[in-house]
Amino acid sequence: MINTILDQAKASIAQSESLKELDDLRVKFLGKKGELTALLKGLGKLSKEERPKMGEAINQAKVNLQNLLTDRKNHLETLELEKRLLKEKIDVSLPGRNVEMGGLHPVTITLNRIQSLFAKNGFEVETGPEIEDDFHNFTALNIPEHHPARAMHDTFYFDESTVLRTHTSPVQIRTMENKKPPLRIIAPGRVYRCDSDITHTPMFHQVEGLIVDKDANFAQLKGLLIDFLRAYFEKEDLQVRFRPSYFPFTEPSAEADIECVICGGEGCRVCKKTGWLEVLGCGVVHPNVLNSVDIDAEEYTGLAFGMGVERLAMLRYGVNDLRLFFENDIRFLRQFR
Amino acid sequence: MNISTFWLREWINPKVSDDVLAEQLTMAGLEVDGIESVAPVFDNVVVGHVVSCEKHPDADKLNLCQVDVGESDNLQIICGASNVRTDLKVIVATVGAKLPGGLKIKKAKLRGVESFGMICSESELGMSDSSDGISELDSDAPIGQDIRKYLDLDDNIIELDITPNRGDCFSVLGVAREVSANYNMAFKLPNINVSAQGSSSIKTSVSNTQTCPKYLTRTVKGIDNTVKTPKWMAEKLTRSGQQVHSPVVDITNYVLLELGQPMHAFDLEKINGAIEVRNAKAGETIELLNESSVELNDDTLIIADDNSPLAIAGVMGGMGSSTQDNSTQILLESAFFEPVSIAGKARNYGLHTESSLRFERGVDFNITETAMDRATQLIIDICGGEASDINSCVDTKALPELTPITITQAKIQKILGFELDANWIEEKFTNLDFEISNKSADSWTIIPPSFRFDIRIPADLIEELARLYGYDKLPVQKLSLDANINATSEATIDKYDIAQSLVSRGYQEVITYSFVSEKYQNLIDPEAKKITLSNPISADMSTMRSSLWAGLLQTVESNQRRGHTDARFFEIGLCFGGVKADEQSNKLAGVVSGNRFDAQWSTDLQPLDFFDAKADLESLLALTGTQFSFEAAEHSALQKGQTAKIILDGTQVGYIGALSPVVQKELSLSKCYLFEIDLDVTLSGKIAKYEAFSSYQQSARDIALVLDEATPVADLMSSIKNMSQPHFVGVSLFDIYAGDNIESGKKSVALNLTYQSLEATLSDDEVNAKVDEVLALMQDKFSATQR
Repeated sequence: MINTILDQAKASIAQSESLKELDDLRVKFLGKKGELTALLKGLGKLSKEERPKMGEAINQAKVNLQNLLTDRKNHLETLELEKRLLKEKIDVSLPGRNVEMGGLHPVTITLNRIQSLFAKNGFEVETGPEIEDDFHNFTALNIPEHHPARAMHDTFYFDESTVLRTHTSPVQIRTMENKKPPLRIIAPGRVYRCDSDITHTPMFHQVEGLIVDKDANFAQLKGLLIDFLRAYFEKEDLQVRFRPSYFPFTEPSAEADIECVICGGEGCRVCKKTGWLEVLGCGVVHPNVLNSVDIDAEEYTGLAFGMGVERLAMLRYGVNDLRLFFENDIRFLRQFR
Repeated sequence: MNISTFWLREWINPKVSDDVLAEQLTMAGLEVDGIESVAPVFDNVVVGHVVSCEKHPDADKLNLCQVDVGESDNLQIICGASNVRTDLKVIVATVGAKLPGGLKIKKAKLRGVESFGMICSESELGMSDSSDGISELDSDAPIGQDIRKYLDLDDNIIELDITPNRGDCFSVLGVAREVSANYNMAFKLPNINVSAQGSSSIKTSVSNTQTCPKYLTRTVKGIDNTVKTPKWMAEKLTRSGQQVHSPVVDITNYVLLELGQPMHAFDLEKINGAIEVRNAKAGETIELLNESSVELNDDTLIIADDNSPLAIAGVMGGMGSSTQDNSTQILLESAFFEPVSIAGKARNYGLHTESSLRFERGVDFNITETAMDRATQLIIDICGGEASDINSCVDTKALPELTPITITQAKIQKILGFELDANWIEEKFTNLDFEISNKSADSWTIIPPSFRFDIRIPADLIEELARLYGYDKLPVQKLSLDANINATSEATIDKYDIAQSLVSRGYQEVITYSFVSEKYQNLIDPEAKKITLSNPISADMSTMRSSLWAGLLQTVESNQRRGHTDARFFEIGLCFGGVKADEQSNKLAGVVSGNRFDAQWSTDLQPLDFFDAKADLESLLALTGTQFSFEAAEHSALQKGQTAKIILDGTQVGYIGALSPVVQKELSLSKCYLFEIDLDVTLSGKIAKYEAFSSYQQSARDIALVLDEATPVADLMSSIKNMSQPHFVGVSLFDIYAGDNIESGKKSVALNLTYQSLEATLSDDEVNAKVDEVLALMQDKFSATQR
């Protein structure tokens, strides 16, 4: 009898296809009115001798049946989960739901990089107005009226004594007017020249640097700028050379060339076959400039340098047309994200 | 300045190649912009003599020439040039010659007749871009000589970029002096030897000796100006970029190039009376050599005769008194004009001449006589004639003073960071023609030479020493470590962080020109003060921007034209309310246009609106931790009803809104939303300060109010906040509704109020009482009823 029930139950459980069906089977066999329960209820009718034996067999059958039910239940649940997972499956290769990132302008990226490199050396950022007066843009920088350098600057004028600054150097003057040495500053910003062709835009960016200290000297200026250029171009052995040049506001004055980063110094179109690229101007601040802001030129030495930001950006990123920086074509700007 | 290395090497000839010499000049401060050979590489090209020239038997346009190239037999050469003729000296590429462009000359047969070479034009040798027929050489050209040697074709032209301080280097003499100082060797001046007699027949006087401290003249009579300028001179002039005219003019140009002294020659017969060097009278006019007529200012120094101006001093001569081919008597002028007074004068008349360039930068005031004699000698050699003695007007006191300058070893050490060897210093000063007037073991007093206008202070001497030592060999040191820690407040927000917050919300930074077209400026900010450039590049770049929107809209427009319709751009930059320093301030502005997201699989395209722009702006304002408010406003560039001003502490600091449909149409744009704010207000944040938070339950209540549609919701919220109810945590808006079931002209606003105590959980009664307070205020202030 027990075995018959057990076999029947086994077969039914094995065939059951859902948790509901399985539960019905549990009720059918093990429930209060279930077949095995009915057998247990019938034990009283058996003899004293038969009773324990039979009872044990029924209980054993219950345990077996319960195990079968549990196994089947686990099996069915696993199947059910798999079915659900299959239903919930997604294409993980699809892109995230998002707004595209924007980006900074390559000139800003370059400016930030220059600023952070100098910040490591204790340089603070100073800024100044872009519409400048004649005094700050020229006179205080040892460029008196009728100086040939004025004519060479291609200046934008508002009136005779008001100009768009032609360089960031007036920030030197404004800083020295307001702060006492020792000074260590850089002045990034827009500058303007009345010139527009393939290699000139009427507006571009410079970074000016100024150190005023009692023990500052030209050797330190060389050291600083060599370190900077090697860090900027991430090339430890970048060749840097200094050449005499002329700026009214520095004496001695120098220009610094780096080995051509396009051809590695072999000579190419960019470096005009010389292997060298001019990247910045620098020098020891002219005593007349220090005097114009009441700094004792005998006690203090000033070191100044200036560089074109677009030029550095072009060399670093391989941009071959200056004008791209101000056309703001999204196809260009996107490349710097 | 262009200088021929052949010419330079006549003066000083260091045993190095032209390339090495050029490199040395660059490293000494005379920057070489380029070095170019006068002719490309070719070989086996010689001087030939056309012994006979007949028509080709079978071709009308070809000539059959017998050409003597100095070999035992004449060469038979067929030539198609129309100017080939008997007895002409020509350039012959012989069989085996390799010409520029890879052409190889071989024995050839033309219409059945053999040809053994080619008679060449200048263009065939790559010496000029085009030529008219074959090149005709001088009749004394030596037959058979290699043409490279005969025409000095192995010469190189060095293009020097002379800095404004080195006016002394605008001559062969000046460059030779530099080479001499660098290579420590002497240079050779040409022999100058003039036999002059009798005084000049023209009286001269100088009335402004401050500007003209030295004025020399001399007559040369009986010259023949119709002769041809000699080949050697013409070649040097051409290679220096000068045109060849007539001998007298060529000679003055030659002396200018050779010695750096601008010279002028007047036709003696066209001078009326005496010469006076004086300032022009306002309104006087002169017709110049370049055929332009100018009205003179009274600050301009001129050379005049009894009747009229003859020349603008140091700039350009007049047409009327200029020498011509048939001039037989001339007045030569060699003068020193003071640089500062002459500076800018040429430019005032739109002129820029070789002469003005040199006088403005400073001409050696001790070379005036030498140059006069040099020119005289050349004129007599080439054109014949007899020279008078020099007539000098010199005001010695007005000549530049050569003030002694003292330099010490200590100063050198201070500036360059090391000491230079005393003997070396003295040697270099001597090489530079600096006179050492006094010295001790570690100090030197020098007097600069009359050609160095740039040597005035000790720093100038240090630069001279440094450049001759070689900037590259100067020591390199580290900056001393700065021990100061920058005192930047933690509350300061970096401009970079502001920019990054927009970048992470999809904005691309742009940099646009600070000057815009007047049209854009007027459309966007018609009330702004007009700040206009007096010399703009173009009308489109003439007006300083008062707002960044002009550039941003132009950027949107140009990108839309290229098919990029979705735009999120921002710019940070100065805007101009005036020309004074405190009227220029940084602004931050953004523009959005198009769709909220790119077309993508998970979201439908949704057009951007005001609240997208506002959310972006709010996200960056949130960095400051400060409460900004937005109030409905009007702005000429923005759409009425979709414009707000941004307010901080009662002050308007910016605007946000939809681009006005009028402006939008005017600029052919799609719908745009713009914002702009003073950058400074975004750069100061707050330093965090901890406050205890409650561990008791928070109570929330929703209220729905019906009120006038025009009432700004922000007013409700701020009124509630301003009640400063105890235990008030916050209020938020969760629904706005107008339509069915709401009276027309009204709207329903649903708010969520939250309260929390630090000490205990608030009872329902306590919370309800607070909500009642709020409802009462809403009723009172906004006539808002509970729905």
